[in-house]
Amino acid sequence: MKTRVWLWVLAVILGISLLSILWARRTPSMIAGIYVDGECLRRVDLNRVKAEERFTVETDDGSNTILIQPGRICVEAADCPDQICVMEGWLPEFGFPLVCLPHGLLIQLEEDAP
Amino acid sequence: MTARRLTRDALLTAVALILFTVEAQIPVPVPIPGVKLGLANIVNVWAVCTLGAWDALCILLCRIALGAFFAGNLMVLFYSLAGGLLSLCALLLLRRVTTPRQVWVCAVFAAIAHNAGQIAAAVWITRSLAVLAYFPFLTISGIIAGFFTGLCAQYLLSRRLS
Repeated sequence: MKTRVWLWVLAVILGISLLSILWARRTPSMIAGIYVDGECLRRVDLNRVKAEERFTVETDDGSNTILIQPGRICVEAADCPDQICVMEGWLPEFGFPLVCLPHGLLIQLEEDAP
Repeated sequence: MTARRLTRDALLTAVALILFTVEAQIPVPVPIPGVKLGLANIVNVWAVCTLGAWDALCILLCRIALGAFFAGNLMVLFYSLAGGLLSLCALLLLRRVTTPRQVWVCAVFAAIAHNAGQIAAAVWITRSLAVLAYFPFLTISGIIAGFFTGLCAQYLLSRRLS
């Protein structure tokens, strides 16, 4: 195939990716679910949080300290090597689910209220 | 396997491993898991184009096993394996339909395939489809990184090695 064809293919892939990022960044709800290896530990309605709360999730692979403030949630500290979950910052500002892949931890805004 | 071939593959594994380890020390500017340059892809592409599938697979598997060992994290092994094998498949397929001047195209698709493999592994580990939200972002970073590593590999391939 000609190089120009390949460039078009890549441009289409790039366009689809950009569109789906815009689509995915909407915030479905303010209820955050905290999961470890697919199991829901707890759900927090971020709109109803009055006081700051901090708790640690222990997994088989390590621990993450989660901080909840009125209207937002983040991973404050973790003992994973890459620290990506800490760098991701706050939900919902970040726009993607918060994950700590080495520990199998996932924090996401739920699609619909339980 | 002749001694010559074994030595050559071992050297390439060492090169890939150095790239992999050095790259792990570079902080990533965006907090998306899986975004990286993928410098070891250069060795991968080069090996597929000059040595063939079997040698490339050996180099890849050795590099992943040793890389996870040096990173000191078993999860790295899992993610690298899923991404690495898928990107090797993409390289082998695209190798048949591209010209030597389009090596970078192979590398771009190899990078995308690598990210797809990693996301698949992440879906399996978190047992949730939520991580799929990262995929479009990873695809864009993969296209950029793959273009860069692909050009590196293409440049290397265009040189005659004695």
